[in-house]
Amino acid sequence: MTTPDNFKTRLEIAKSKIKKKVLSEGEKRGSLMGNAFKLGTELVAAVGVGTIIGFILDSWFGTTPWLIIIFFFLGAAAGIMNVIKAANRMQKED
Amino acid sequence: MANNPMQQFSVHKIGPEIKIAGIDLSFTNASLFMVVSAALIGIFLFLGTKEKKIIPDKIQLVAEMFYSFVAKMISDTAGSKAKPYFPFIFSLFMFVLLCNMVGMIPYTFTVTSHIIVTLIMALFIFIAVTIIGFLKHGFKYLSIFVPSGVPTVLLPLITIIEIISYLSRPVSLSVRLFANMMAGHTMLKVFGGFVVSLGILGGWLPLSFSVALTGLEILVAFLQAYVFAILTCIYLNDALNLHH
Repeated sequence: MTTPDNFKTRLEIAKSKIKKKVLSEGEKRGSLMGNAFKLGTELVAAVGVGTIIGFILDSWFGTTPWLIIIFFFLGAAAGIMNVIKAANRMQKED
Repeated sequence: MANNPMQQFSVHKIGPEIKIAGIDLSFTNASLFMVVSAALIGIFLFLGTKEKKIIPDKIQLVAEMFYSFVAKMISDTAGSKAKPYFPFIFSLFMFVLLCNMVGMIPYTFTVTSHIIVTLIMALFIFIAVTIIGFLKHGFKYLSIFVPSGVPTVLLPLITIIEIISYLSRPVSLSVRLFANMMAGHTMLKVFGGFVVSLGILGGWLPLSFSVALTGLEILVAFLQAYVFAILTCIYLNDALNLHH
């Protein structure tokens, strides 16, 4: 009955059961909602930071409207990249 | 009755005014509730770890649950290299969680609904992670801004975008926590005000909303602490395991 092989398989089964239990329902839903909260600000923050950098550089170089416009779009690109990165990470987790 | 839903966020001094070198260091209600949260964490963990039983009692069980929750989060997202940073992330998680939860009790003050508090925490994490990255990898850490497999023509543009994306980390980290806490508490106050102004006839609907929102806010309080801690782990992972 209690051969080492038998024990090993039983241990494996028990371990996989624990793993399944840990990932079930509550925790999974929690991490999904956490991800949902994450994405929105990820996009907005980069746009904000880009615009602020453009504003500062403009006041340094005296090129008033141009750098702020350029960095606004660069910030938007950075924001979209942030979201894509976060989405990739989410898919890797599943 | 306080009609203004934003009044709950006002900071006022408690006790005498303390000024050191022209900087106002007076003890405020915000400081008071930070002390309360920290003290609660201390008491809770002291009671939870006082008697190390093999079969844990309730408080030890909860303390162990928090421990294993954070330990699992770190090992899942940042790997085994991040083990030395467990104390920091655990304290961070517990502090944010307790600040959020203490804020849910009526007549208390929510420390994390002020952007200065969350921004300082986020900036500390951001600077610490950057220093760790440079200490571990030297100037090779700068390769985080240069993704592999990009055509040379696009490289300067992508590098600028990556730098903006890196700089946006503390902003998104702090704004997320602050905005969620402030919006939630304002909404609770607004619905509470509706209950009073609609009176006994019409007040039942906003009251039921208020009850539901309280439940949602407790969930948000936990989730935001979780997100704050897990993003710290992710940033730490980027600094520790540089892969390109």
